[in-house]
Amino acid sequence: MKNPPDLLPGTLDLLVLRTLTRGSMHGYGIAQRVKEISGDVLQVGESSLYPALQRLLLDGYVKAEWGSSENNRRARFYTLTAAGQKRLAAERKEFERIVGAIQLVLANA
Amino acid sequence: MRLLRRLAHWLRLRANDADLAEEVAFHRQAIERDLIAHGHSPAEARDAARRAMGNETISREDARVVWLWPRLEAAWQDARVTLRSLRRSPAFTAGVMITFALGVGANAAMFSLIDRMMLRPPALMRDPATVHRVYLYRFIDAREGETGGQYARNVDIARFTTSFSRTAIHTTKQLAVGVGADAREMRIGIVSASFFDFFDAPPAAGRYFGAAEDSPPAGAPVAVLSHAMWQTRYGARNDAIGSRLQIGAVVYTIIGVAPEGFVGLWPLRPPVAFVPASTFAASVMGAPWATTYGSAIGLSTIARRRPGVSVDEATADLSQALVQSYRAQSAADGSSIEQRLAELRPRAFAGPILLERGPERSEVAKVATWLSGVSLIVLLIACANVASLLLTRALTRRREIAVRLALGVSRSRLLTQILTESMALAVAGSLLGVAMATWIGALLRTAFLPGTEATRPAADGRTLAFVAIVTLAVGAFTGLLPVLQARRLTLTDDLKSGARAGTYQRSRTRTALLVLQGALSLVLLVGAGLFVRSLRHVRDVRLGFDADSVLVVDLRMRDVKLDSAQTALLRLRLLGAATTVPGIQHATLEIAEPFGGMTSWPMFVQGIDSVSALGRFELNAVSPGYFATMGTRLLSGRGIESGDVDGARRVMVVGASMARVLWPAADPLGKCVRVGFVDTVPCTWVVGVAEDIHARGFGPQDRNFYYYLAAAQFRPQLGGLFVRAGGDARRAIEPLRLRLQREMPGASYVTVSRLGELVENESRSWVMGATLFTAFGALALVLAAVGLYSVIAYNVTQRRQELAVRVALGAAVGDVLRLVVGEGLRFAVTGAAMGGAIALLAAPRIAPLLFNQSPRDPAVFGTVTAALLLVAVVASLIPAIRGARVDPNAALRAD
Repeated sequence: MKNPPDLLPGTLDLLVLRTLTRGSMHGYGIAQRVKEISGDVLQVGESSLYPALQRLLLDGYVKAEWGSSENNRRARFYTLTAAGQKRLAAERKEFERIVGAIQLVLANA
Repeated sequence: MRLLRRLAHWLRLRANDADLAEEVAFHRQAIERDLIAHGHSPAEARDAARRAMGNETISREDARVVWLWPRLEAAWQDARVTLRSLRRSPAFTAGVMITFALGVGANAAMFSLIDRMMLRPPALMRDPATVHRVYLYRFIDAREGETGGQYARNVDIARFTTSFSRTAIHTTKQLAVGVGADAREMRIGIVSASFFDFFDAPPAAGRYFGAAEDSPPAGAPVAVLSHAMWQTRYGARNDAIGSRLQIGAVVYTIIGVAPEGFVGLWPLRPPVAFVPASTFAASVMGAPWATTYGSAIGLSTIARRRPGVSVDEATADLSQALVQSYRAQSAADGSSIEQRLAELRPRAFAGPILLERGPERSEVAKVATWLSGVSLIVLLIACANVASLLLTRALTRRREIAVRLALGVSRSRLLTQILTESMALAVAGSLLGVAMATWIGALLRTAFLPGTEATRPAADGRTLAFVAIVTLAVGAFTGLLPVLQARRLTLTDDLKSGARAGTYQRSRTRTALLVLQGALSLVLLVGAGLFVRSLRHVRDVRLGFDADSVLVVDLRMRDVKLDSAQTALLRLRLLGAATTVPGIQHATLEIAEPFGGMTSWPMFVQGIDSVSALGRFELNAVSPGYFATMGTRLLSGRGIESGDVDGARRVMVVGASMARVLWPAADPLGKCVRVGFVDTVPCTWVVGVAEDIHARGFGPQDRNFYYYLAAAQFRPQLGGLFVRAGGDARRAIEPLRLRLQREMPGASYVTVSRLGELVENESRSWVMGATLFTAFGALALVLAAVGLYSVIAYNVTQRRQELAVRVALGAAVGDVLRLVVGEGLRFAVTGAAMGGAIALLAAPRIAPLLFNQSPRDPAVFGTVTAALLLVAVVASLIPAIRGARVDPNAALRAD
């Protein structure tokens, strides 16, 4: 099971929130999407995805609703809330700042 | 917001869990479908999806844990496991709970008692640490005693001190409240106006009385009701204010109601009303009540120290104020102050506000302090017992524990579980204990604090807090030992051999606990023995009168004013009436009651310089029936007879010791004693010698002497009656009261009580010690026996194989019994030896509470040790018999 031990702490939340900006998605969809977009580099395991989703629910950044999937199975769809939007923007800024800083160090140290 | 969502989640916990499960299942199926779409076979896809998902339960757990407080969840789980395992062994659970309940119940009851007597500051009092009870002492007849009951003395103390920001006079009296059929004796607070300022207690209605209403010449007839009285007697109506109520001899106008919970300094016997000290003093003493030092009416002072004044400075200030007060007294009566101070050697003391913490605390309080220590020991024994039982359980569960450790349960989680078990038992036991405390408390109260307000430990915050602390301590203590044991577990050894093999390991901790229990039980039993023997000595003391058959009639005149001739006639009428009541055998006039307060007069005897230097001579003025009524034996001469009337030769009967001390070498009959303030008063002739009586305690009376005068000749201004009833004196009380009441003029009335009550008050501390020490000692013994039994029984189970081998090799039943019982006996002997040593060391400390009893009485120690050993033999004999009956065939084959 290759979980993102390589992900910086907190980046999973960021990825999930960013993925959800495209609209409601179920858990499997989110995992697939992240995997596809990252060119199979980032694999989000269930054992970290669902706790992360529950945490976001608890914090009110996403809300969940039961709907039917592409092939008419019952699935839980997650939607970004306004608080989630705000959180995403903040997290993203923070993330870019840190990545920029890391790159500075890598390039010049 | 987060919290709200969390709570919402908790409310639909089950639904959420189902959602999560479905969601994760959907995820797995989606992976499966993708794999099939990429050309895998369904079986392969299923396996791959399973592998990809890992442990579905764990990922679900991880996800749901986000919502929960993991520790709480773990605690909840522990609690459930504990409850399950406790339910599986109901005998163990019940045993432990009852053990705890007894221990905690006894302690809660004792705490409640001790708390009310000597820990809890007076309710609503502002800053009680700076408030003192003032104790005044002076020497009289070469013995120091408390003094200061006079109104004038207390006023002087306030006037001559500078260390206090405020002082107040106070006392309580039992007075008749109301008139006619409604009249009942109730406790009344008699206080100065400043008394209320010590408290943070604005009146619930109306107002308190002020300084102007509490001052000479007569005070104002105003009273403040207690809240309880206002509720019960006046239905909390506002028109109570302004209404009139007779209390004692005075008709008071009610001006206010104290707030709820205001009991002054008297939580045990709360007053129903408060009246000004001046008004009361004026009503009972008459002028010049405010300036006389002659009559004491039981008043005393409380005082609040000024900031920056130390307690020692306050004491010194009080002492000099007392000296000044005597100076003022000497100036008033023209006596020599130097001589007075040399004789009296006055001294004062600023004591704690709680009476039972001060120098004059009661014997009951002293014994209660000891008993609270004893109840703690009982709790300790109970804890040792439970710890030992839990340890046994932990040992038998070693294998289970080892298996669980091997399966990856974290050690800390395991330890919490054991602690949870002991805590759960402690909590359950304590709940039962609180219920028990209510019951024990009621018993304690009726036995040792009769006539006091009921308490409910279950509704008292302080007692509950105490119980909570005790519960935590007990749970932690009893859980800790098994935990320590569990920490020593070596996984592999236990898995390999488990606790099943015949290896017989003795646990040192358990041995120590057993010996401790035995030792503590022995200490308590020795205490019980000492108190029981003391009580027997007290009961064996020949008092010189039959307290149980005699009733005391007191006259309460209230506002009825009779001159001395009328009073004498009234008393004679009552005397005549008393003897007409069925069941009454004899009656006599009296002016003093043994154990209730005696009267002393100066006395002059030819050939003796100072009679008062020999001791205290106290008199009773009685009528002819006295000796028959009291059952006091006449040793020589005659008693008071009907011919001893006014104008006839004045006669007296003296006690045997008094005769011995006044006329060591001569026959006392016919001697002359002059009773009065000067040595020129006429002679009173000794006509008889009576046996000695005890009127001030049960101990040897080397300096108290008693004599009897003829009431018809002494002509006392006051006094009551002694009445001897045949059979149960209690049953004669009411008929006697009703008959005598018919003779009483106006609002005056009589009270009838048993003389035995006064004696019982005096012997109460020994009764308390004997009863409770015995109860606690027996409890301790039972607990220790159960502890010993469980350990021996466990050991026998462990040694089954060994015993079977012994039996197979030809050991007789007697050999096995000797082996097992010997082990139990060794524990008991060690415990007894230790306990004996402790008891011998503690002996000097308990000696003052005993009566005619050596605290190192070999008979007590011997009996108690024998009892302990006997119990040990019985407790170990039962498992020993089981051990001896082991069928070697079965036992050896079993493993």
